[in-house]
Amino acid sequence: MRKDNQVLEGMYRLMSLTRALDQVLGKHDGHWHGLEGEEAVTAAVYYGLRDRDVVAPHYRGAVTAALAKGADMSRLMAGFLGKSTAYHKGRHRSDVCGPPELGLIGLYGGSLGPPLGYAAGAALAAKLDGRDDIALAVFGDGTSSRGDCHEAMNMAAVQTLPIIFVCQNNQIAISTPLSGGVGGSIAARADGFGMPGHTVDGNDVLAMRGAMDAAIARARAGEGPTLIEARTYRVAGHFYSDAEDYRDADEIAAWRAKDPVARYRRYLIDEGVMTEAGMDALDADLVAEVNAAFETALADPVPDASALDVADVFAAEARG
Amino acid sequence: MSRMTFQQATVAALRDEMRADRDVFLLGQDIGRFGGPLRSTAGLFDEFGADRVIDMPMSEGTIAGLAVGAAMQGKRPVVDLMFGEFLALVMQQFLDAGAMHYYSGGTQSVPMVLRVKYGIGPFHGHAYDHHSWLVGVPGVKVFAPSNPADAYAMMRAAVRDNNPVLFMEHMALYHAGKGEIDPDGAANASAGSVIVRDGSDVTLIGSALMLKRALRAARTLEADGISAEVIDLRRIYPLTLDPILASVAKTGRVVLLSEAIGRGASINDLAAILAEKAFADLSAPITRLTAPDIPTPFARELEAAYLPSEDRIADAARRLVADQA
Ligand SMILES: Cc1ncc(C[n+]2csc(CCOP(=O)(O)OP(=O)(O)O)c2C)c(N)n1
Repeated sequence: MRKDNQVLEGMYRLMSLTRALDQVLGKHDGHWHGLEGEEAVTAAVYYGLRDRDVVAPHYRGAVTAALAKGADMSRLMAGFLGKSTAYHKGRHRSDVCGPPELGLIGLYGGSLGPPLGYAAGAALAAKLDGRDDIALAVFGDGTSSRGDCHEAMNMAAVQTLPIIFVCQNNQIAISTPLSGGVGGSIAARADGFGMPGHTVDGNDVLAMRGAMDAAIARARAGEGPTLIEARTYRVAGHFYSDAEDYRDADEIAAWRAKDPVARYRRYLIDEGVMTEAGMDALDADLVAEVNAAFETALADPVPDASALDVADVFAAEARG
Repeated sequence: MSRMTFQQATVAALRDEMRADRDVFLLGQDIGRFGGPLRSTAGLFDEFGADRVIDMPMSEGTIAGLAVGAAMQGKRPVVDLMFGEFLALVMQQFLDAGAMHYYSGGTQSVPMVLRVKYGIGPFHGHAYDHHSWLVGVPGVKVFAPSNPADAYAMMRAAVRDNNPVLFMEHMALYHAGKGEIDPDGAANASAGSVIVRDGSDVTLIGSALMLKRALRAARTLEADGISAEVIDLRRIYPLTLDPILASVAKTGRVVLLSEAIGRGASINDLAAILAEKAFADLSAPITRLTAPDIPTPFARELEAAYLPSEDRIADAARRLVADQA
């Protein structure tokens, strides 16, 4: 079944935007956790959500989730740079923690795992309110070893929550290969919790979108959670300045050849959805947009150090 | 004798203990070929192999659980927890481990070390200092060395200790300059609190980065004619109280330094103890300098303002002395 062209183009835009942004931030700071090779997963998963759907993205790709939910690119970058104009006023990093007002649940601490529970909580809220909004919890293969992950899935199944768990399985966690972190299949765990589980080619944006569509329909219909394991690969280091002496160059090269952006471009041309020239022009526009947003963020002011605002730690005392 | 960074000293201490004792082994994420977060196990995998430098999945509670279980069987596991921020994920295991000796009527010991990196520094992440939680756990020791020589001696002592030890490695000190290590020196960690600078007007007490800043503040104060004694709280728990009481008896004034937030800080305990045991010696109120009660902020400017600075430490000491004059 072919998607309508608006969806196909929208997903391409998100992929291309992700790549452009990744390159700018990675060049600026060696601590940027890059997304190269994983753009098909994030584009398929984060494209076209409703405003009231809630997303707890994986930290690798969290910026794409925020952009897909309508966040301002420059303010996100300001968050990465610790500027006062950032969504979190420089108090926290918005590359891993998007603005909550757009339905984003970020990493409020550095521990991977807890946001899966928060996403399940958002799904519970939607269910309690009788809304057909859904929640998404996206996590890495490394994170799938956390107890939080197992517990959140079990809870979601027990409570029939409208949530989709997506494992962005890039087959490595810092230096730990999949075989060192995961005993067996991640998708197969779904069976043990009593929900559908699917393994999908994470470099195939259409296959990913197909699996998402089915899971979204199931969740909105109140039928409960789904687990999707997206098989992809982390082409770059854990972060940009990673020396990477723990893995094989041939393996990296083989996956580089499966680049999801190039693959999707071929599809769009073959199907006559977009032209090569059209995509090149779009890419160039996005690079310019990303660069402009970054220049703005770079020029933004730093927070006033006298603003260590203890008063802001607590919310207003009571519901008004 | 050789000169090493804090990071090299901790690795050397582990290497020397692993050579000396077959029961010592390491558990953690990315500690094998990767060499550990911030190089915390660099070279150990090559020497000791995958059976004694064991890479683990991202399952902190169970990594700590495995260490407790193996320690109960007489092994001497050292867990690299990566960052102190993840203490929250292993608290139950540490509560249990700390209780075991007492609850078993003294028959069960749990000789394990939990290494954590923490603190505001070049790494710019996972800066939280939550050791105060563990000070609330009976049976657990907390080490926080401030220099490479102590890092070496105290890591060796921690591995040999028959109790669970939280070993804190400050990220601002980790790669910041070398110190002389003495591989043959006694693992002098029994002296928990050490007077590292003599003075007569005021006592500054802190660990790790705060100790460094206290020493610099003491030099500034010297120029103002104020003589500051500085105590390195190398072992935060159990406290070695005698040098502290002796110092306060001499100076009558004390500034306690903490990188953790003031609420629930482990130094509050010390303040209470001093109020009980040294009240008559105090000629001024006990002063605490801590991080404000907010989560560690991200922007460099906010991060820098978050911790007690040399200037704030010196000002606090000046105020204490002036109030008396
Ligand atoms: C609970 C917890 N343990 C360890 C870490 C340190 N850490 C940061 S990223 C990472 C690897 C994550 O692997 P994965 O979930 O597969 O995501 P990927 O980096 O591959 O995208 C680890 C171990 C952490 N942030 N949180």
